[in-house]
Amino acid sequence: MTDTATAARLDAAFADAGVTGWLHAVDVDSGTQVGVRADQPVCTASVHKLCVLVTLHELAAAGALDLTEQVECPPDGRTPGPTGLAAMLDPVRLSLRDTAFLMMSVSDNTAADLLLRRVGLDAVNRTAARLGLTRTRAVHGFGEMLGTMREDAGPGGARALADPHVITRLRALDPARTNRSTPRDMTRLLGAVWRDEAAPPEYGAAMRRIMGLQVWPHRLASGFPFDDVHVAGKTGSLPTLRNEVGVVEYPDGGRYAVAVFTRTAHTAAVLPAADAVIGTAARIAVDALRAP
Amino acid sequence: MDLVRHLECFVAVAEESHFGRAAVRLGMAQPPLSQRIQRLEKELGVRLFERTSRQVTITEAGTLLLGEARELLARAEALRTAARRIRDGESGLLRAALSPDISGETVAALLAGFRRRHAGLELELHELTTAQQLAGFAAHELDVGLIHHPCDVTGLELGPVLRRDLGVLLPRGAPQTELDEVPLAALTGYDLVLFPRADAPAVYDDLLTACARGGYTPAAVRHGQGAGFARGLVLSSGAVALGPRDSRLVTPGDQDVVWRPLAGAAPAWRHSAAWPKGRGDAAVGAFADAATHALRTTAGAHSETPARPLHLRPASEYWL
Repeated sequence: MTDTATAARLDAAFADAGVTGWLHAVDVDSGTQVGVRADQPVCTASVHKLCVLVTLHELAAAGALDLTEQVECPPDGRTPGPTGLAAMLDPVRLSLRDTAFLMMSVSDNTAADLLLRRVGLDAVNRTAARLGLTRTRAVHGFGEMLGTMREDAGPGGARALADPHVITRLRALDPARTNRSTPRDMTRLLGAVWRDEAAPPEYGAAMRRIMGLQVWPHRLASGFPFDDVHVAGKTGSLPTLRNEVGVVEYPDGGRYAVAVFTRTAHTAAVLPAADAVIGTAARIAVDALRAP
Repeated sequence: MDLVRHLECFVAVAEESHFGRAAVRLGMAQPPLSQRIQRLEKELGVRLFERTSRQVTITEAGTLLLGEARELLARAEALRTAARRIRDGESGLLRAALSPDISGETVAALLAGFRRRHAGLELELHELTTAQQLAGFAAHELDVGLIHHPCDVTGLELGPVLRRDLGVLLPRGAPQTELDEVPLAALTGYDLVLFPRADAPAVYDDLLTACARGGYTPAAVRHGQGAGFARGLVLSSGAVALGPRDSRLVTPGDQDVVWRPLAGAAPAWRHSAAWPKGRGDAAVGAFADAATHALRTTAGAHSETPARPLHLRPASEYWL
């Protein structure tokens, strides 16, 4: 299939799901690629936790920290969230690498901010720059990002997020004013992790293990309902935004980094078709890369 | 140096990541485009792109300047639009659009209301779907419109969102016609006549979700548009159609079909005036006000009811 035909199929799938989509997919080993709007800036939301994960392992490999180092997480002052440490009620003590596991497997916002405090926002941006991600930038932590949303949503709270007026003014949905990247930058990062270029093999394997333990079945993984295909990824979500970046591995050795970012027309919080199209689009892209 | 023209070139190359494609988009040849980018880099003293034989990537500095460049271009466009209206005095031109389901009565009230607010300004009114209007805003071919929600509101400013509650078109003699208001669940067993999904997938899904929420999941959806088609299916094949009171699904004196309001939290068409962020002026405001007023007075449209409870699920990842 030609690139134009693939792009047309991707756009049709996005339109059918009621979303605008940005995608880049690349064969991790050969570099063959497909994309739509792959170089446009997108809000990363929780996808930026992948950058935190890579930074943590890079610092560990450099000897700047020890992944088994213990961190204290008291109940007060936790970044809000519906999963992991963010949802727990009692004091917790755990290692940096287990914190990273919670951050990636269930998108734990408290775990992410704990790690960000340990490594620093600047280190995350330095890692991105070192790996050639010229358009990827973290401007704030996850608690701070949720804070801008609370401020912009006003007294209506989460309910106000269904109001299109509120959506137009959320800073967290404007790539110029929040954590951002491009689909191509994200596949570049995934490629570096999977080729052991981001960190030595031992640390690369640790990151790949954690990314393979993500629990969500509804986005990227839903496009590959095959027992012999391995999917590892990280989602990101904000009102109207649904993202996932990850790597799909086939038993013949083929491995493909895919980054899908979407924005729904609808402001509803529950939109199964919008989640599923991330898998559908990823499969269209991977099938195109695997075509003989 | 014509900074605006050079910035247009910069933004096009940044968005296309390719000199050839950017040149096609700008309607110019590639060599003069490359020269313009070089001149701009010299003028700003900043390298905007890294060029290799195969591809062009924006630099960190370029990324930092891209937002400013886009903003400046939008302001330049607003200035040109304003100048055009000032130059033409009160005979300036406002390019506006309405979606096709707005009734003739509403259109007439809107036009009359607009003239009262902004007499003399020429209104070029188009009938366009919401998708076409959004494309028109992006292409700078449209100043203001009346759109359907839900739609992607990125880069827009909105007037108040109004609801036109939907009712149901039933064959005369159907038991539900004896009710003053029909609960959605009472429509179980009927097929539903609805516009083709491709016309507006988000609006279509929103409507079917609202029906399901109300206890009505049609066994089949029959796709079609136009009052005649809907009427035919309602009369002959066990289907119902949904539409607002002012949609003229039933002509006066019709002996065969009946329109009834839906009970409870009925599904609705949701509309608002919309215009590109930063490009609203007095004329745009006058159109938005006239459209909002016309919908309220002629179509029984009303403000959004207080939002329903919202239960964020763990997969939403955010929490307020």
